[in-house]
Amino acid sequence: MPAESDPAVLQISELDVYYGTRRHRRQALDGVSLQVSRGETVGLIGETGSGKSTLARAVLGLVPAAAGQIRIDGEQVTSYSHQRWRTLRRRGVIQYVFQDPLRSLDPDVTIEDSLVEPLLIHGVGRSEALSRVGPLLQRVHLDTDLLARLPGELSGGQRQRIAVARALVTEPQLIILDEPVSALDSANRVEVLEILKELRTAGVALVFISHDLGSVAGVADRVAVMYQGRLVETGPTRQLITAPQHVYTRLLIGSAQTLRSAAADRAERKALRAALQDA
Amino acid sequence: MTAPSALEVPQRTPVPDAAPDQVVLAVRDVRIHDHVSDREIVHGISFELTPGKVVGIVGESGSGKTLTCRATLGILPEHFTVSGGSIDIVGRDIAELSPAQWTELRGSTISAVFQDPASYLNPSIRVGAQIAEVIRVKTGATRRHARHRALELLAAVQLRNPALVYEQFTFELSGGMLQRVLIAAAIAVDPTLLIADEATTALDVTVQAEILDLLADLQERTGLALLVVSHDLAVVAQLCDEVLVMHEGQVVEQGRTAEVLHHPQHDYTRMLIAEHEQYGLERYLDSEPTEQVGLSRAG
Amino acid sequence: MVRRVFALRTGKLAVGILVFIAMLAILGPILAPHDPLGTTSGTLAGPSGAHWLGSDYLGRDVFSRLLAGSRASVVGSVEVALVALVVGVIPGLLSVYLGRVFEWVSLRLADTLIALPFLVFAVAVTALLGNGISQAMFVVGVLVSPLFFRVSRAATLSVARSQYVESALISGASVGWIVRRHAWVKVLPAIAVALAQTMGVGFIVVSSLSFLGIGVQPPAPTWGGLLASDLNYLHFQPYAPVAPAVVIMATVWGCNLLADAIRDVSGENGRALENSRKARSNRRAALPRLVESSR
Repeated sequence: MPAESDPAVLQISELDVYYGTRRHRRQALDGVSLQVSRGETVGLIGETGSGKSTLARAVLGLVPAAAGQIRIDGEQVTSYSHQRWRTLRRRGVIQYVFQDPLRSLDPDVTIEDSLVEPLLIHGVGRSEALSRVGPLLQRVHLDTDLLARLPGELSGGQRQRIAVARALVTEPQLIILDEPVSALDSANRVEVLEILKELRTAGVALVFISHDLGSVAGVADRVAVMYQGRLVETGPTRQLITAPQHVYTRLLIGSAQTLRSAAADRAERKALRAALQDA
Repeated sequence: MTAPSALEVPQRTPVPDAAPDQVVLAVRDVRIHDHVSDREIVHGISFELTPGKVVGIVGESGSGKTLTCRATLGILPEHFTVSGGSIDIVGRDIAELSPAQWTELRGSTISAVFQDPASYLNPSIRVGAQIAEVIRVKTGATRRHARHRALELLAAVQLRNPALVYEQFTFELSGGMLQRVLIAAAIAVDPTLLIADEATTALDVTVQAEILDLLADLQERTGLALLVVSHDLAVVAQLCDEVLVMHEGQVVEQGRTAEVLHHPQHDYTRMLIAEHEQYGLERYLDSEPTEQVGLSRAG
Repeated sequence: MVRRVFALRTGKLAVGILVFIAMLAILGPILAPHDPLGTTSGTLAGPSGAHWLGSDYLGRDVFSRLLAGSRASVVGSVEVALVALVVGVIPGLLSVYLGRVFEWVSLRLADTLIALPFLVFAVAVTALLGNGISQAMFVVGVLVSPLFFRVSRAATLSVARSQYVESALISGASVGWIVRRHAWVKVLPAIAVALAQTMGVGFIVVSSLSFLGIGVQPPAPTWGGLLASDLNYLHFQPYAPVAPAVVIMATVWGCNLLADAIRDVSGENGRALENSRKARSNRRAALPRLVESSR
């Protein structure tokens, strides 16, 4: 892990986020603090509505923070205006990969045009942008003959790798991936996870969001577990899995579909669910 | 899902006790043809289900596992046909069933739950009423009796407050609760066979485990025959006695769960197992004895 | 998309009709065998070799008047469609992006325009601005523009809420960029349908107005005017309204047919159509093979 003096690429402290207006106001995040160091891979785990996606959206400036701070690459962005956000985004320090690449890639735009779009927005010339596409595809293990095609003509796994390539095009320091392998079948899952591992080796920090601890266990250095808008447990992956503290984390691990679990777990899960209800 | 029809002849008491070796579903060398691309999509699949048995089909999207399910239910999408082999449900060849016979069979003998529960329920009718409707149409029960039975079913699928859920609409329920409601509707008239096609795929892991536990409970309690379809080998391994691994329309591996997990023959199966070993929780859980692999519930 | 429209039988027919009408509009006045304004002593004569459709109450050649009148009708309806397009589509696109105030104002304005009966309003405006077909059509165009506003707004909304737009936003894209790169292409088919439909409406409006005698000075021929003058002499020539009525109907029908064809080939409908066609041809191809193998 980097030295203390090296500022974290992402630092979130005591973040509160609310949705809705006065009467229907609902707290989505409650005092969340999380730090992502350079080159670190953090798994962010939680169920639907736990606030994990809201956290990502807050970091991208898509939802406003009610309290607390977000620092990106040392910059305090919590009260940025639209204009300043746009400038920051164009620098491409943080990129985002959606769960469903079929919807996050414009169906009427060729793969090549989709890939260079962030660069063109940034103001890079078209020919220069195109010259960067080749090496990019190599990084996600794809051939250049896909470039002229439309997203609909690719398989799900190929599309997700294109989405990762698109996120890489601006040489970001941090990529947030929202359920990047949930919609994929095994072969493609392995392929995408393999690419993520290579990215980590290359020094890109990753925040890997998922509801399934199993899918991040193979790549994450550290895991943060969210439950009902709060960060309930954080720790190194192995420690968190082998010695979970919070009831929800224990249920999460007990529920993960593995090739090992047996019928006896059923009673244990029932007990954990009851404990979580009472908590 | 159960397709209630006004033409339905009210009849059927709960299924008579089947002899343990009575075959509920027999799929023999079924082939499925797509007329749009003019290709065969499923190149022959065979398996048998007896009461209380759980069979799983694993495969990626496009491997033909869902088409096989749909063929079994007689609801293949447009332009797809069964081009070879036969499917028998409780000894009747489905190719010879009339639409009226199909209606009678669905719900009362064979039933199914799918991936996206919300799209199988009417958003403007209370969910309890929808289950009660199935019961009334299928058994000719009175309103009050159907309501009573629906409440029982909602309790049977372990919903915490059946009376409350009965009065709720789909948008008020979470994905896991909706899937329970659908399971309740699917088992409303005590079918002998339940097909779960990616029934837990869209759910959170914790909820997914809850639904799988529920299916296992139901199967143990009622002797339901289960056909579980998933892209995840682990889901199938948790529940099934027998596993079929499908790849590009071909059954590449078929056998008892423990056998398939321990001695995979085909590269594709090995890859499925390796994915879990390398990237899943398994590598942190290796303190557990590996003998526990698979469930030996068949005995 | 153009090719797919032509692949449909209805598409071909629609384009055929509309091209024919367009040719009439361009060449009609030149092709007319007689002077459409020239009176003769043979009033209300039946069809003959010299006068194919007979003559009217002033002895003018009906066929020539029909040909000469096509231009005013076609130009009028095209004007309606284009005005509606410009006035409707641009605010429709922008209403999604330019913030709450613009959205609210433009929506209320569209509601207001829908509430106004356009035929009556057109009559009132011509009274104000002077009697001319293009003034009247301009007003009608503005009044039917909410159709375009709504169609383009709905299409843009679905694009604006999509993930690829959000992912462009995350890359720092501006509103203009998103409209140019993502929104525009998705909105086009919807607008094409609305355009074809509005042309049809335009024809009816032009014909109705000229039927009422609004927008054209009396001697100048139009299809609606023809119909009106024919109606007064129905006792003498009961068949007379048929010719102008048929051309008006055929044109409107052609426009609606084209709108249907565009709708059928774009998006989800188009794919379903293509699939069933392919499946049908595959099954047909499979039939001889089956017969062959059974022998």
